[in-house]
Amino acid sequence: MSPPVLGFEDAAFSFGDVTILDDASVALESGTFVALVGPNGSGKTTALELFAGLRPLDAGTVTRPATDGRTVAYLPQSPRFRPGFTVREVVQFYGSLVAEAVDADAILARVGLSAAADRRVDELSGGMARLLGLAQALIGDPPIVVLDEPTSGLDPDIADHIFETAATMAAGDRLVLTTSHDLEAVSRYADRVLLIANGEFVLDGSPAALLEQAGEERLRDVFSAAVAGTGRDAVDVDASADGGGE
Amino acid sequence: MRVRPVVAVANREVRTLLRNRALSAVAGLFAVVVIGLGGASMGSPGGYVSLTYDLLLPVELLVPVLAFAVAFQSIRGDDERGTLSILRTYSVSRPEYVLGVFVGRALPAFVAVVAALAAAGVVASLGAPETSSFLATHSAGDTPLVYARFVLLAGWYTLATVAFVLAGSAFARTDREALAAGIGAVVVVAFVADLALVALLTTGFVGDLIGVLVGLAPASAFRGLVLELVIRPAIATDPGVATAHPLVSALALAGWTVIALAAAAAAVWRPVEQ
Repeated sequence: MSPPVLGFEDAAFSFGDVTILDDASVALESGTFVALVGPNGSGKTTALELFAGLRPLDAGTVTRPATDGRTVAYLPQSPRFRPGFTVREVVQFYGSLVAEAVDADAILARVGLSAAADRRVDELSGGMARLLGLAQALIGDPPIVVLDEPTSGLDPDIADHIFETAATMAAGDRLVLTTSHDLEAVSRYADRVLLIANGEFVLDGSPAALLEQAGEERLRDVFSAAVAGTGRDAVDVDASADGGGE
Repeated sequence: MRVRPVVAVANREVRTLLRNRALSAVAGLFAVVVIGLGGASMGSPGGYVSLTYDLLLPVELLVPVLAFAVAFQSIRGDDERGTLSILRTYSVSRPEYVLGVFVGRALPAFVAVVAALAAAGVVASLGAPETSSFLATHSAGDTPLVYARFVLLAGWYTLATVAFVLAGSAFARTDREALAAGIGAVVVVAFVADLALVALLTTGFVGDLIGVLVGLAPASAFRGLVLELVIRPAIATDPGVATAHPLVSALALAGWTVIALAAAAAAVWRPVEQ
């Protein structure tokens, strides 16, 4: 197993009374595709921002590799790039921020956007914009790529293509960490699943190991069992949608 | 501070402005107003001094409006689209990013203002009788050189106002805040500072400090520099009383620019040491 390249040790973070991390520890290795899942409001996006160094921890430490170039690539949920520029120009712009020369067309080919290189970003579909986000994540060859729900709101084929691309990115010597609510895709593509709830990583393991451990056939059922009664007290997910009568 | 990220960000900002038709329209409107005023002065016996007087107030008020149009969405727009988070992973420092945005936004605005005023000068000079180009007998006289000083001071004023609006954009956390901050910067630069000065004058405690105090607000500093460095050397009779302290005004205009950019760099994102 590769040595950890990204991790928390006794990490704590909160927004006022809302605890996101409570003395949480985890270590993530390079060459793996890790999915961070959890109920709405559990702090997945905030955890990603803490991993990516966009926010400071309240306490504890975060470990990242010491590199001369770009260490972490981050793709926010539903990114929108500067209107008026073509796809190739966007990659060229981000490429001008790193020391090494960047072949924009080669990078676009890696995510399947070659045919859209001359298209303006304001004319891209949601899926193509995410792929452009993945393309910029490859610039500077960072050892860690962090993606925030890269497939939310996309059709299944494009979502599968994005998961496949992300998994391919992790196939080399790179850690790819993504959040997602698409547990079916997570069980197919991820090497490892982290489930965050109530400030802790309550589940951690490969999809197969989690299924075996819980005695379930679907990751969806493992998720429901793990988050039952945690962090969703105010939402009755079994409530009828017909108006709430007796 | 490294040059490459500053140039890369500035290049993107320049191209953004050049491709935005609405901003081009605002710059065009500014040019139409200024050149129109120049046309109204065509053949005027007052020459460049008269033209400078005619343009001083419109420039003082319209340049902040142009700066607002050019810069109020700049930093806030990157934040709102999520691209600011992406940029941060490229190890672009806060000063590098803010300076890049400033250069890329302020430089085209500077060119637009200087070009429009230069065109106004050319238009105003058309049809003027040869002898009317000199109103005064002072060392500088009423020459194009004097008017060029006004044009450059207006360009400098443009840089300061863009920096102000940029700071508002950096502090804003929502589009509505960005709009309010941009308009607020324009109002402060163009009106509030002058009103504060007038209010101070009514207290009677200002006395001989008026020339210094005039230099402290961006618009009045620009006005003071124009009156002292453009108008005064060109007119025949020295009024005897200084309207502003040029050194204080110059330092204040530069100081406001630096302070606004430093504030923008401090506010644009929270640094993470871990």
